Amino acid sequence: VSASSIGRLVMLFLVRWSRYNPYYLEPEPRKELYNMPETELTTEQKEERELKAVRPIKATTNSTTSSVFNDPVLSKFVNMMMRDGEKILARGILTQTLESLKRKQVEKYHKAPQGKKAEIECNPYAIFHQALENCMPVIGLASIQKGGKFYQVPVPLTDNRRRFLAMKWMITECRDNKNRRTLMYEKLSQELLAAYSKEGNVIKRKHELHKMAESNRAYAHYRWW
Amino acid sequence: MTLHRLFPLRLRQTIAQVRLLHGSGCGHQLEEVAMEPELRKETSVFRTQVNDPACQSERHLGQYYTLPTSHLHTIFPHGLPARYQQQVKTFNEGCVMVRQPALELISYLKAADYSKPAVRYLLYGLKGSGKTMSLCHTIHYCSTQGWLVLHIPDAHLWVKNCKELLPSSYHTSRFDQPIEASNWLRNFRTTNERFLSKIKLRQRYTWTKRESTEKGSPLGELVDMGVSRVKSSSDVVGAVLKELRLQAAETEESEGFRLAVAIDGVNSLWGRTTIKKEDKSPVAPEELTLIHNLRKMIDNNWCGGAVIATLSQTGSLYSPSSAYLPKELLGEEGFDSMDPFIPVPVSNYSEKEFESCYLYYLDRHWLQHPHSESHSPQTCILVWSFLIPYFN
Repeated sequence: VSASSIGRLVMLFLVRWSRYNPYYLEPEPRKELYNMPETELTTEQKEERELKAVRPIKATTNSTTSSVFNDPVLSKFVNMMMRDGEKILARGILTQTLESLKRKQVEKYHKAPQGKKAEIECNPYAIFHQALENCMPVIGLASIQKGGKFYQVPVPLTDNRRRFLAMKWMITECRDNKNRRTLMYEKLSQELLAAYSKEGNVIKRKHELHKMAESNRAYAHYRWW
Repeated sequence: MTLHRLFPLRLRQTIAQVRLLHGSGCGHQLEEVAMEPELRKETSVFRTQVNDPACQSERHLGQYYTLPTSHLHTIFPHGLPARYQQQVKTFNEGCVMVRQPALELISYLKAADYSKPAVRYLLYGLKGSGKTMSLCHTIHYCSTQGWLVLHIPDAHLWVKNCKELLPSSYHTSRFDQPIEASNWLRNFRTTNERFLSKIKLRQRYTWTKRESTEKGSPLGELVDMGVSRVKSSSDVVGAVLKELRLQAAETEESEGFRLAVAIDGVNSLWGRTTIKKEDKSPVAPEELTLIHNLRKMIDNNWCGGAVIATLSQTGSLYSPSSAYLPKELLGEEGFDSMDPFIPVPVSNYSEKEFESCYLYYLDRHWLQHPHSESHSPQTCILVWSFLIPYFN
């Protein structure tokens, strides 16, 4: 961190990572929810609206927007890919990945015969979400100590943890197992396409985790939660 | 499929505001703009079936015409911009938009008198406004009319990053660039196959003590020699240019031809180079054989053709990035050599052209966002790309 950036940080008041009082509410960036008329709201949403009138709201991060292109999953992925705080570089790599995904699929679409055209998915966002879903493990392992020894016990995972594992495996796989000359966005687009069709190293890693969990089934009763 | 009116009132107000923002520089207030009152009744058409540039007219402005695949490989082995080549590969077809600068140039070429000295046309404009694509459109026209096209895709590549620099055998103070010259000759051969056997040399050229090309032999032989003997390829380029210059002046009856010299990035001919001699002193552009011969080509002392050039700041050396006018980019020397020329300004997309581009991308399944049909992402694209063709 250079001296100039330290100076800049001192001038900004960072509110997001400070301990907010629990009665602060989470911000809602999506426009459609505010445009819904009174009749379409459920009782919970009506209560939320009343609460928002009285309670203060946390500040959003700089990367959230109210545009149609804002995607929380993609933002998380960008943050995980980022190194040394270079968000612009990470976001650039992601944009290039999405573009190259779209290019490959559109090329396949135009070269395919008429009958096969409907099956080819050209939307890079759909491919990204489907690929991540295919990589998410269903069950995980936790290290539990019993009688002096540590056992790998199969354990259910929360949604956040599953999503985190899928993204982490994807990024580490693309960083480690690529040729020196291939660029990150090329390798990422290849892996994402493979994961979309349930092939590739990341899917293999997920299956290995599932197999380990299955083989350690006997220790499942060590879990107390 | 009925195309709904894609530019409703709200969007037109946004376009007008964007125009104000962009045109008036930084930090100005947005004023209330008088909105266009009437509905636009005509449905938008973005493709035309007229694929011959000679038959295109103002009716086809803003519409895309398809380049036949055979023409793509023969006429443009090296001419198209890199982004456009990627697009051709993705969409499996090459479509060019008919725009006003290219149509203007083609009408001048149709109306010119070819018994007079060659007229020089210069395409200039802001970065990414479509100068190279207009040049390629004009070259397509010239090829379909049976002209001989001398296309130098990027003159900037000849004045920088030269891997091999040989001292010229013909003239001791000049330098040769064998790799660039042989590459260009190979592409020249692909473009102009049918002329290679028809044109005969007027002079005898001696390359070494044992090798020479006789008078009366076809041009193809000279080009093949240049491609195979890489060492003398720069001199071969000079010889080819000289022969074409002398023979283009003949009339149509005695098997003459018209010569189109198309140069992209012509401002590199009079700028500085980044090539250094062995004693680390910089090489001036005149000391390079290729540049020296090209400059002779641009002089208007020959008849029977035209010189179409493009200015380019993107690849140029030692010029500020905000420069785009001919006087700034060509410099004193360049402007004096090019003077008199016909300047053709190339501007960014108009609203109609942008709409046409948007429909084309929708048709080719390039715009994948689920809200593409409605105008919200369109507003985003419009504002962010500021109607610049390169970012579309």
